[in-house]
Amino acid sequence: MSMAARTVQPPALGPVPVPARRRHLDWRHWAVHAALLVAVVGSLYPFALMLLNSFKTDTEVLRNTAGWPIAPTLASYEALLTYEGSQVVRSFANSVLIATVSTLLAVFIAALAAFAFAKLRFRGRNVLFGALLATLMVPYEVTLPPLFIMFARLGWLNTYQVQILPTVASVFGLFMIRQYMLSIPDELLEASRLDGATPWQQFWQIVVPVSAPVLGAFAILHFIGMWNAYLWPLIVATSPAVKPIMTLLPTIRDPLIGFVTPWGMVMAGCVLVTVPLVAVFLMFQDKFMSGVVAGATKG
Amino acid sequence: MRVGPSQSGRTALTPVPLPRTGRGAYDGGEPVARIPVDAATGSGTGTSAMATTTQPTDVVRSRPLAAVRAAPRPRQRALGERLTPYLFIAPFLVSFVVLFLGPALYSLVLSLYRYRGYGAASWVGPANYERLLGYHQFWASWSNTLVYWVAGAAVTLVVAFVLAVLVYHGPIGGKLFYKPAIFLPNVMAAVAAALIFQTLFAPGSGVVNSVLGVDIAWDQDALFGKLAVVALRAWHSIGWFFVIFLAGLTTINPELYDAAKVDGATALQCTRSITLPLMRRTFLFAVVIISITSLRMFAEPNLIFGTGDGLAPAAFQPIMNQLYLNLRAGEFGLASAVAWLIFVPIVVVSAVQFRLLRGDDGGSA
Repeated sequence: MSMAARTVQPPALGPVPVPARRRHLDWRHWAVHAALLVAVVGSLYPFALMLLNSFKTDTEVLRNTAGWPIAPTLASYEALLTYEGSQVVRSFANSVLIATVSTLLAVFIAALAAFAFAKLRFRGRNVLFGALLATLMVPYEVTLPPLFIMFARLGWLNTYQVQILPTVASVFGLFMIRQYMLSIPDELLEASRLDGATPWQQFWQIVVPVSAPVLGAFAILHFIGMWNAYLWPLIVATSPAVKPIMTLLPTIRDPLIGFVTPWGMVMAGCVLVTVPLVAVFLMFQDKFMSGVVAGATKG
Repeated sequence: MRVGPSQSGRTALTPVPLPRTGRGAYDGGEPVARIPVDAATGSGTGTSAMATTTQPTDVVRSRPLAAVRAAPRPRQRALGERLTPYLFIAPFLVSFVVLFLGPALYSLVLSLYRYRGYGAASWVGPANYERLLGYHQFWASWSNTLVYWVAGAAVTLVVAFVLAVLVYHGPIGGKLFYKPAIFLPNVMAAVAAALIFQTLFAPGSGVVNSVLGVDIAWDQDALFGKLAVVALRAWHSIGWFFVIFLAGLTTINPELYDAAKVDGATALQCTRSITLPLMRRTFLFAVVIISITSLRMFAEPNLIFGTGDGLAPAAFQPIMNQLYLNLRAGEFGLASAVAWLIFVPIVVVSAVQFRLLRGDDGGSA
């Protein structure tokens, strides 16, 4: 066929012939689309429900949960922003701060170690790396009782560092970044070494720029994980000053009545914590999903 | 770090590199200035005692101070150079040991003690484990978790796989829209998802009840309530496994499908005899991941039916609640024991996967 193409017609001229099987699009084509559209509606509907209910009053949410807002209002958002002073704003800022600092630290120390494991030679390298990987199986929950005791002794309960520090050494991140760095050609580093670069300079001037995609992917995954963290902050960050938004949201009660969940406000709160993530996702879709896959293709 | 010229042992923390005759390394310009030790010692030649093995010996001899002690044997790597890798891994390793490995091992010890957070810890041996294993709510929590795990895995993995196959073999270009749209729920926080599902599965006039025209007390009924949790988990995680499966599908050589079609195989036959066997590894990986995340589930059941204290009623509590409650009560020994008992099935599942994959050199993904 390629022979024929070469002899009969000049390349890249004329319309590309439509493959035969695309011409008779049968019912199966539409069935696939229909099935996928049902799935998409299912996956997006809770988002729509959240948005719609955030524009209703608390009482309307109870009476008209599924429907369109009868009288759309921003009252829930206003009530949310003035909830207990400005607790929601404070907690939102706490979450941003904790997630950002943790992400910067986690990416930095994982990248440093990943560089050594991928590109430097030292005694015990493979054994050490294998041992680290094996600990991936151990759930972090086993560390919670000792960590609680340790931080209580230090007087660090209800601080930022107690929420940040246990999250900075990510074996998953180390693994993901190392896999990527293994693909950097040794010649590149060898050349720079002969040019007089120290490993430190190689790290900053070659390895980090080249690894930007994987660093970004890991940073996004880690940030999301921190943003969504619930169990540990619930245990160690109970004071309003350092409480993140995730543990605050479920505790929101009607400012006037008390003991009643104001669903309009809570849905507005859900919008508040979800919109930034969806925005980041839509901007960096590929990084996001490639990060998910990068963790999966091990072994 | 400045190093005085009199210190012959410039045991250089940074291995000092060789300047090249053709200056201007990879970034062009700025040649000698990037060599800190030389700049500090004012050595114009830019040569160094801490020579790498490629250093010509005559250059070393021209540096009398350095040559005294440091004159390296040609093949011996400098101390600084040997230390460098450890400096790179040190921040990671130190934080890992202090904040993960140490506490993990310590909790194993702690699980054999009774410790209330004050006073002395008293050795109780396996008593914590015995106490948990004889506690009815501990087993009730396990059985709840088992339902979430098995039912959740079945629904999630089957739906995710079907969607992945449809998107992969389906309409050209459909991937651009369907892939992010199906993944999107995974982006939402578990907390927000659970709160939204609470309005979906509200008893009385909740969305599901209204749409189905039924009146199910989701927060009371032990079976239906668990189904609501499974639905929440499935909705939240299908996108993740969908992306994993999609990646697994792309590793299968498309020529296999073409060949099968030539032989007259139907789409279903292709799926059964090409896709399923070749995705073995991916499936096993997915099963391990969904098992681990199911065993560690905490936020979803507690927030979808959370009562005043933010915890689910006994009929819906996952096993992680036992850890949380004991930790809250200051029963650190018991809390540690719970954590290690949760770890047991994780090890079993991982070991089974490992076993199944051994001797499985072929296969994709």
